[in-house]
Amino acid sequence: MATNQPTIVGDSFALGYRFQRYWDSSMASAFFFGELGAGLFIVSMFYGVVPGMIAGLVSTGILKAYFHLAHMGVPMNSWRAIMRPDRAWISRGMIAIAVFVVFGVAHVLLQVGGIFNLDLSTIGGALQQAIKTIAVLAALGVLLYHGFLISHSSAISLWNTGLMPIVSIVYALLGGAALTSVLGWNALAAELPGTMVPLSALTLILLVVIAVVLFSLMYVGLNGSPGARVSINLLLKGPFAKFFVPLVVGVGLALPLLLLLWGPATYVTSVAIAVAVLVGYYTFRVYIFKAGVYDPIMSFAPSV
Amino acid sequence: MARYGMAFDLRRCIGCNACVIGCKQENSLPDGVFFTRTLSEEYGVFPAVNRVYIPTLCNHCEDAPCEKVCPSGATYTRDDGIVMVDNDKCIGCNSCAVACPYDQRSVLSKELFDDGLFGEGELTPFEEQGYVRFTPGTVTKCDFCHERVDAGLDPACVVTCPTDARIFGDLDDPDSDVSTLIRERGGRPPLPEKNTKPKVYYVT
Repeated sequence: MATNQPTIVGDSFALGYRFQRYWDSSMASAFFFGELGAGLFIVSMFYGVVPGMIAGLVSTGILKAYFHLAHMGVPMNSWRAIMRPDRAWISRGMIAIAVFVVFGVAHVLLQVGGIFNLDLSTIGGALQQAIKTIAVLAALGVLLYHGFLISHSSAISLWNTGLMPIVSIVYALLGGAALTSVLGWNALAAELPGTMVPLSALTLILLVVIAVVLFSLMYVGLNGSPGARVSINLLLKGPFAKFFVPLVVGVGLALPLLLLLWGPATYVTSVAIAVAVLVGYYTFRVYIFKAGVYDPIMSFAPSV
Repeated sequence: MARYGMAFDLRRCIGCNACVIGCKQENSLPDGVFFTRTLSEEYGVFPAVNRVYIPTLCNHCEDAPCEKVCPSGATYTRDDGIVMVDNDKCIGCNSCAVACPYDQRSVLSKELFDDGLFGEGELTPFEEQGYVRFTPGTVTKCDFCHERVDAGLDPACVVTCPTDARIFGDLDDPDSDVSTLIRERGGRPPLPEKNTKPKVYYVT
């Protein structure tokens, strides 16, 4: 007596895999802008690109917040998300975001204070260093919490892997490096041309690393639990493949790799690389949410 | 203090869905929202094809992942083991729904309450009296009909079942019907590999 293999059953009253439908593209956008902003801030701070730091703070502090509120069922109660840092990654993330925005803004003000005629001479060097360190640590916290939040979800086998925090960190730093090249082009290429080479090298290294991590994610999924296998097949061969493969692999990985290796070192190339990386990164975020499935609760068909 | 749980006798379940209807009536659930479902699984090769029915509801896990991930403290466990959601604290982030391996959470979107059961923008008297217990935008789930349990009654799905396929009771009481059934016929929890320690068991 054969048992039929479970299939994706949608919302019907049948046993099978069910799509997670609770986190949609709003949540994917919130993840994307939150991670990208923190990554951009870290890389821009390292290279001293103030517009990059400001863009990073706007991305995390405003865009991420907007998409979270758009997703939330009771936005007026959103302050309650900070109530359980002892057990919930969302609460820890909220705290990290708040600290990042406060200390990040303070750091940027210290960098550009002179422009606004602010007298910041009373702030000592040690305090400035402390503000900078806290901002970077909080930005790292923002990067990490996204990965840990979904990797702790045992319900969705595709997400339930230790690779998720690594994906978050590497993709965010990659997006940050690519955008820092664009936002800091005038300052870096004109005034500090020596820094463009290491920034390009960093982008190249991160591209290779994210390619390896994504390959590992697919490999682990295909050889893991049945739910993860279903999800990976949806991404690579199923209905999501027509977007996931060309946009994440083709545009997000191969194109920037080719441009970095053989493209001319111009501003236009830099913009093209950044756009390609971000398209791949955003597509990955959206489809990793779309492809999440719940396992069937169990089979009760009599065994052979 | 009791530790409430439930067992499903799959030999008895006939897939009539009376439990589903009983639950929807008891809890005044909006269109498309279910606290319990009776899933069906087909097996065999034609012409020897058969079907087994598998009732599902919130498993009120001892180690509830939905409670762990809730950032606002809205999800909590009562002393008697019933996992509850406090509407006033829920922010509608849906992290509990994503964390539940059994997909037993329902999102109460605002449209459900605006459109009504008939989708005409007007609520029936039944809906008007029932929807006051819900907060649009929050997440909800089965609470073992806690008002009935507090009053010494069984949950609505249990009393509605015409074949006594659902058995509710105190898992800590070795003489209760539910404990006896699980012990004698070898109750299996759903997805034990998820380590959530469900308080709902299936016996075949």
